Amino acid sequence: MTTPSAHRDGQPPLLVVDHISKIFGAVTAIKDITFTINAGQVVALVGDNGAGKSTLVKIISGLFPPTSGRVLLNGAECHFTRPADALHAGIETVYQDLALIEQLDVADNVFLGRETTRFGWIGRLLGILDRDTMRAQTADALADLHIKIPAPTLAVSSMSGGQRQAVAIGRAITWGRKLLILDEPTAALGVEETEQVLQMIEKLRGTAMSQLVISHNMQHVHRISDKIVVLRQGWHVATLTTAETDPQEIVAYITGAKQQTPVAEG
Amino acid sequence: MQSTRSTRAAQPRDGQTLGEFIARYGIFLVLIALVIVLTILTPIIRGEQFFLTVPNLIQVALQASINAIIAVGMTFVIVSAGIDLSVGSIVALAGVGAALVMRDTALGPVAGVGVALGIGALCGAFNGFLIARVKLPPFIATLGTMGIFRGIALVISEGRSIFGFDRTFVEIFSARIGDIPVAVIVAAGVALCGALVLRYTKFGKYTIAMGGSERTARLAGIPINRYKLGIYILSGLLTGIAAVLLLARLRSGDPTFGRLFELDAIAAAVMGGTSLSGGAGSIPGTIVGALIISLVRNALNIFNVPSYWQEVVIGGVIVLAVVLDQWRKRQSQRD
Repeated sequence: MTTPSAHRDGQPPLLVVDHISKIFGAVTAIKDITFTINAGQVVALVGDNGAGKSTLVKIISGLFPPTSGRVLLNGAECHFTRPADALHAGIETVYQDLALIEQLDVADNVFLGRETTRFGWIGRLLGILDRDTMRAQTADALADLHIKIPAPTLAVSSMSGGQRQAVAIGRAITWGRKLLILDEPTAALGVEETEQVLQMIEKLRGTAMSQLVISHNMQHVHRISDKIVVLRQGWHVATLTTAETDPQEIVAYITGAKQQTPVAEG
Repeated sequence: MQSTRSTRAAQPRDGQTLGEFIARYGIFLVLIALVIVLTILTPIIRGEQFFLTVPNLIQVALQASINAIIAVGMTFVIVSAGIDLSVGSIVALAGVGAALVMRDTALGPVAGVGVALGIGALCGAFNGFLIARVKLPPFIATLGTMGIFRGIALVISEGRSIFGFDRTFVEIFSARIGDIPVAVIVAAGVALCGALVLRYTKFGKYTIAMGGSERTARLAGIPINRYKLGIYILSGLLTGIAAVLLLARLRSGDPTFGRLFELDAIAAAVMGGTSLSGGAGSIPGTIVGALIISLVRNALNIFNVPSYWQEVVIGGVIVLAVVLDQWRKRQSQRD
C-alpha cells in the first residue's frame, strides 16, 4: 500500500484518490481505486455502465463517504459528509440530469445555494435576495465564458439542452476553484452544442482548475484529456497517458479485451 | 444557434398573447367575472341587491380569512412538493389547548395566543420531523398526524366543547377596526408577508427549488432537511393563527372544529395556480382562490341553495380549477 507519490516538482497533486472502495450492503461498487489529478490536468474517467464511475464521482463530490480509502485535496484529507462540504472545498460537479432547477431563472440557478442578500445584516438574517446584483454578475460571468444566453432572467424551462448545459458548466466554472467534475457533459447534446462544451473544457485545460470528465465517447476523451482512468466492474483496470494511447486501446481496456499489469501512477 | 433558439422561444409570447394572458391571470379573471355575474344576477333573482353591499363583501372576506391564512402555509408546503393534511386537526388541537389554558388558568389572552401558536408550531415541527428526518412521504406522514392531533384534541377536551374562557380574548380577535374584522386584517398581513417571503427571500427560493428538483437542490448544497422542517413549522404556525381567530369567532373550543379545512386550503392553493407536483405557486393566486371559494358559498346562500348542494358546487369549482391548471401547464410546455 503506497500513497501515490508527489508531483515531480515537489507540489502534491491537486487531488489524490487513494485506495478508495465503496460497499453498498452486499454489493461492492468500486474496489481499491487509486489515481491522481495534477493542477490544470484534465483526467477522463471511463468505463462501461455499472463500472463504478458515478459512485466514485459521488464520493469525491461529497454525496457519501467511501467505505475505505481516502480522498486528498492539496495534500489534506477530505472528510465530506454532504455536497456542501465539497462545494466549500472548491470542487464543483455538473451532473447529467440534475444540473439546474427548471422553475428558476438563469441567475437564480447560477447563484443557487450562494445567494447575495441586500439590506445589510437584516437582509442576511431574513435572506432577502439581491436579484439585481446576482443578475448582473451572472450576465458578466457567462459573457466572460462566451456563453450566450438572451438574458439572466430567462426561465431554464424555455432553454435548449445545450444552453442548459452551458449555464450549468458556467456556474461550476464561476464558483469552482480547484476541481470541476463533469458527468457525461455532452451526452444529451447535438453536434454543435457538443463542440461548444468540448471547447469550454479545452479552454480551461492548463488553468488553475483541474477537471475530471466522465464520458462514453472515446474520440472526445482522447481529444480533451491528459490522462485516462479506466474502470471495469468496479476495478481500476488501467491508467493511460492520453498521448500514448488511442481510442481503440481505451475501448479494449473498457471491455476487458486488454489488461494492464499494475503500474506506478503516472 | 443560440440566437435562433432564443427567438423561437420568444415567438409564442407575441403570437399567443391572449392565451398566455389567460393562462397567467386566469384565476383573477374568474374572480372578477364571478363578482360581475353575481352583481347582475342577485337583483334579478332575489329582487334586491344583496350581493354588492359593503357588509356582504366584508362577510365574504371574513369567511375567506381563516382558510386564506391556512392556505398561505399550504402554498409553501405544496410548492415544496409536499402536502399537509393535518391542518384541520391542528386547528382543533390548538383551539382546544388555548381554550383550556384560558379557562383553567388566570394567564389571560396572551397565554391563549401563545399556546395556540405554540401548539401549531410544535405540530408543524412534528410533521417536518417525520418528513425530513424519518423520510416519510408527506401525504402519509400528515395523514397519520391528522389522526394523532385530532385524537389528542379529543383526549384533552374529553370530547366536549370548551366554553367560558377569557372574554378579552374573544373581544380582541372578533373585533372590527372601522368596519374591517381583525381576522381580515390578520389574513391580509399574513398574505402580504407570505407573498414577499415566497418571492424575495432565500426561504421562498429554496421552497421552489426543492419542489422543482429536491436532488438538484441538495446537490447545490442547500440544507434541504432544515428548510423542509421550516416549511412545515410555518404551515403549523399559520394554522395556529387561524385557530386563534376561529376560537374567538365561535367563542368555544371544540375538538371537532376544522374538519375538511385541509381540503379548502389545498383547493385555494391549487385554484390559485400552485402546482400539486411542486415548484410553482403564488400567494396572490392562493388568496384569490380562497376568495372564490368564499364567494361561491356566499352566492349559494344568497340564492338559497340547500347546503348539501353547496358541497357539490364547491367540489365542481375545484375540479374546474384543476382543469384550468392542467391547461395552463400544457400551454407553458408548448412554449
